[in-house]
Amino acid sequence: MTHDRIYDTFRRRTRRPVGGIGLGAIVAGVGLGFVAAGLAARRPRSANPVKRSRNKREALRLGRDGAAIMGASVLFDSALEHLRGDFRRDEMYVAPLTGATAMAAALAEPRRRKRGRVLEVTHLSSVGIGIAGMGFHLRNISRRPGGISWNNLFYAAPLGAPGALIMSGLFGMVTHRMAQAEGYEHLHGRELACLTALALVAESGEVALLHFRGAFHDKAMYLPVTLPPLAAAGLMAQAIYPHRHFRRPLTLLLRAVEGLGYVGTGFHALGVARNSAGWRNWRQTTLAGPPMPAPISFAGLGKTGRAALDLLAVGEDQPRQNKERAAI
Amino acid sequence: MTQDAPRNDRPRAVNGHAPDVFKREGQVPMREYPKNAPVDFVIVGAGCGGSVLAAKLAEAGMSVVLFDAGPFFQPRRDFASDEREQEKLYWLDPRISDGDDPIELGANNSGRAVGGSSVHFQMVSLRFRPEWFKARSKLGYGRDWPVDWREMWRYYDEVEEALKISGPIRYPWGPDRGRYPYREHEVNEAGLVLARGAEALGVDWAPTPLCTVSAPSGKSPPCAYRGMCKIGCSINAKQSMLITYVPRAIKAGAEVRDLAMVGRIETGADGRATGVSYYRDGKWRFQKAENVVAAGYSIETPRLLLNSSTAQHPQGLGNADGLVGRNLMVHANDAVWGEFDEEIRWYKGPPSMATCEHWNYADDDPSKNFDGGYSFMSQGPLPGDFAGTLTSSTGMFGDDLLEAMGRYNRMAGLKMVGESMPQVDNRVTLADETDELGLPRAKVTHSFCDNDRRLQGHGRKFMSRMMRAAGGKNLFETQSTAHLMGGCPMGDDPETSVTDDMGRVWNVDNLWICDGSLMPTGGGVNPAMTILANAARIADRIIDARFD
Amino acid sequence: MSQPFRTPYPGYDVLDKWDSPSFDDQTREVLRARRDPPPRRFLDPNQFALLEALCAVVIPQRRPEPVPIAPFIDAALHAGRGTGTRFATMPPERDAWLRGLEAIDAEARAAFDGRGFCELVRPKQARLLRSIDRGDCRAPEAWQEMPPQKFFRALLLKQIVQIYYSAPAAMSEIGYGGPASPRGYVRLKVGQIDPWEAPFGTWEDQA
Ligand SMILES: Cc1cc2nc3c(=O)[nH]c(=O)nc-3n(C[C@H](O)[C@H](O)[C@H](O)COP(=O)(O)OP(=O)(O)OC[C@H]3O[C@@H](n4cnc5c(N)ncnc54)[C@H](O)[C@@H]3O)c2cc1C
Ligand code: SF4
Repeated sequence: MTHDRIYDTFRRRTRRPVGGIGLGAIVAGVGLGFVAAGLAARRPRSANPVKRSRNKREALRLGRDGAAIMGASVLFDSALEHLRGDFRRDEMYVAPLTGATAMAAALAEPRRRKRGRVLEVTHLSSVGIGIAGMGFHLRNISRRPGGISWNNLFYAAPLGAPGALIMSGLFGMVTHRMAQAEGYEHLHGRELACLTALALVAESGEVALLHFRGAFHDKAMYLPVTLPPLAAAGLMAQAIYPHRHFRRPLTLLLRAVEGLGYVGTGFHALGVARNSAGWRNWRQTTLAGPPMPAPISFAGLGKTGRAALDLLAVGEDQPRQNKERAAI
Repeated sequence: MTQDAPRNDRPRAVNGHAPDVFKREGQVPMREYPKNAPVDFVIVGAGCGGSVLAAKLAEAGMSVVLFDAGPFFQPRRDFASDEREQEKLYWLDPRISDGDDPIELGANNSGRAVGGSSVHFQMVSLRFRPEWFKARSKLGYGRDWPVDWREMWRYYDEVEEALKISGPIRYPWGPDRGRYPYREHEVNEAGLVLARGAEALGVDWAPTPLCTVSAPSGKSPPCAYRGMCKIGCSINAKQSMLITYVPRAIKAGAEVRDLAMVGRIETGADGRATGVSYYRDGKWRFQKAENVVAAGYSIETPRLLLNSSTAQHPQGLGNADGLVGRNLMVHANDAVWGEFDEEIRWYKGPPSMATCEHWNYADDDPSKNFDGGYSFMSQGPLPGDFAGTLTSSTGMFGDDLLEAMGRYNRMAGLKMVGESMPQVDNRVTLADETDELGLPRAKVTHSFCDNDRRLQGHGRKFMSRMMRAAGGKNLFETQSTAHLMGGCPMGDDPETSVTDDMGRVWNVDNLWICDGSLMPTGGGVNPAMTILANAARIADRIIDARFD
Repeated sequence: MSQPFRTPYPGYDVLDKWDSPSFDDQTREVLRARRDPPPRRFLDPNQFALLEALCAVVIPQRRPEPVPIAPFIDAALHAGRGTGTRFATMPPERDAWLRGLEAIDAEARAAFDGRGFCELVRPKQARLLRSIDRGDCRAPEAWQEMPPQKFFRALLLKQIVQIYYSAPAAMSEIGYGGPASPRGYVRLKVGQIDPWEAPFGTWEDQA
């Protein structure tokens, strides 16, 4: 364990793993993330020379919020899970910090005209770190007795979790690019639909695994493994073959998925309450019970999904406008 | 060794109410039956066997009164995180233990509470290997059960579902058993010691199927890994009889009489059972019944039958051939303990989270020099328990002991559940002395045979190898026993068994047995699931017979 | 004689969790009731003094307020509460204790020129107990057929250590988590501990 400097230092100094200190560091990191996000988002909006369609503005807003929510979910979820893992590997600090920067970067969108290199780099590094995180998690699992066994899939580092970071980065990137460019809305819409569909499927897979671990003891636990894949199918269809047909019900479905994110958080809060001594015993039960920050990522995906549909609508209106102009 | 006056000296299931086991205070309604009108079934003992039978018979519409000598606890109020206080769960009234290898009783294998030994059992929930039900004809040792394994397999399914056993998705040994109703628990470090050792030696291991939920179920929260299962689960994660089948029985109209010690099963002039005499609330009383079931486990059931002798049954009920109390079996509980560099902290989580059943299935291994089998599990004894193990096996004391106990957090252990052969001379008889109620006490005579000793030696050697392979140092071995089985084996032949295949005592057609004492062989796994499945089967057989 | 024991967990006290969710009301009640040891009622003063001396050899306590052990053994004998097992070679529990205490004193007198157990210095007391455990007896008649090792291990040692190790002070000394209800534990793997557990210990062989 020679390379785990922080863990070893804490352990030597306090005879404890991170404990309170690590938690403090995380809280500080989160705080910084928020401040940074606030600063980045504080920019003149009205000085917008080009008049954009309402749909485009809506799409940009949704894309930004979606990416930010994904980042926030990573931030809180990884902070919680890595705290549970006592930050015994120094790399574990990277996840919540990246979650915080991903969230901040997402909130700083949409930028126009200015290239925003810093933002691009941040989005891309989220993706990179997410991929590295998956590698770490895979390594963690394979080193444990049992290897890729159910016990490790259930309880060791979750393979799918760093995926949310990748998604946050990618969504940030798409938002970034669509803010920069005009006229590519249709293409961006298709990209975003495809991306969201993949994310929904991945996320549902992760939920399926964890709810299976919980033996689907409550029927409501089936919701996040049925609605999102349906929405994903719809979005994928739109990505492959954009068509106005079914877009209204699909929007409703995406709103439902988004709602699931909020309701799910509530359900998880109730789940925590069903653990021994409930919320009174929060120091144990928030870690042992269902993870509170997890469901909210569906809210993010619901938003990016709708952003995709909005972009498609913008894109489909544009050629028509152009055609009309030509006819005059 | 509880020093204070017992707070649990008054019956609680009275006046049409029973304690609500899910609350600190509060009650649930309970039906009551008059004593002088016969109820369909009186069941003596509310443990694994008695509770399942009571629930299923009551649900089939029969009138049932379930007796237990012990108190009716409310875990959330009565169960402290304290080893000494919790001795109130055990059968502490002395029994005399004799033989070449006298067994330890009390906390080691007998509960005395509504819920029986399941209140403090360690929740390891394994199934018999199919061939063991025909051990004599298929494997050449012991006795045959009068039951087909496939039938038992169905009842294992039933009770595992009812108790929401949390176990692996695929169990590595034996025929496919589907997945357990709840998922396996996270294996603690003590369990990973077994896992690492098993992987190093190239044998399978599995997260132990446990009778405590890994996710919420009904009013039970998921296990909080407080590790005090052996002294009672105060948060109700453990699915003991007390919080599962007993409430089910009450809901279906059964009456539970707690702190009611049954002294005799009364029989009429025709030799049939007429009811039971029991001591409750300071007085001897009598309950009339059409049928009586003894479910007091392998010592109290034989004792009750022997104590119920009459002119017509001079040697006790069902004992014309002198078989009652014989063929008592235990499990060898030999263990290997080792020290590790890092802190294992084995007190976290249920005590046995990983298991290895390799030697229950390895018939052809050339090193196997014994009949029968054994499994073993990772360990997590509480400090008092472990200190007792240390001193009784090594005699150490003083600073040596403090030093050894100072390494408590760095210890890990493997402990076997080793089959022992049924032998007629291992038996329960009546002692010359009597207890406080004037009932003759039980005397238990037990000796291992050569095969038992070979099996134990093999187990200790194998577990030591595994412990070393996992990184354990300064190993030491201990020997003890656990679990009781047999005493009133069921069978097809009245000459060699006490009951028929549905637990009915030969020659007394309304007297039944339904508990661990029916087991003709002990197998190499913990017995509770087998006792439960057998009780569920017997219940269905009784219901079928009645409504046909 | 071995080194005096030093706890690997200095400063850790399970009682610090008294007001936390690791303790529930019933556990607090049990521990509170145990704070005042019960009065001596079964053994006579000499027997009791001998028992106390034995407890001190078995569990040498160097703390200002030693965990009381003997009063609880006396109380259990007074209440007639057993362990559920009486080995056929052993007399009933009360007789076993009386006989055993007397025999240990007799062994001391036989081995050390008529001096009783309480009059011996600690190392001699320990040596005597070790020879009793080996079955190496100088006053065999005092045991009246009771097997010395069985009494020593199955009753004397076992009951003393079980009382001691259910005391919070002893739990703290070995780094055990102590009472844990309704709060249990979350972190079950090596190198990880919950904030409400003992910190990592230090052992001389690992310094
Ligand atoms: C410490 C410990 C750990 C264990 N761990 C496991 C484990 O991990 N897995 C496993 O499978 N098994 C385990 N067991 C064994 C298991 O608990 C028993 O095999 C099982 O409970 C026996 O069921 P039973 O119905 O035969 O008897 P019990 O469950 O013991 O029930 C008998 C009941 O009858 C009552 N009774 C007896 N006589 C009378 C009378 N005359 N009048 C009124 N009431 C009476 C008693 O009070 C008792 O409540 C463990 C046992 C112990 C002691
Ligand atoms: S480990 Fe689980 S089952 Fe055992 S006592 Fe604790 S909560 Fe109950």
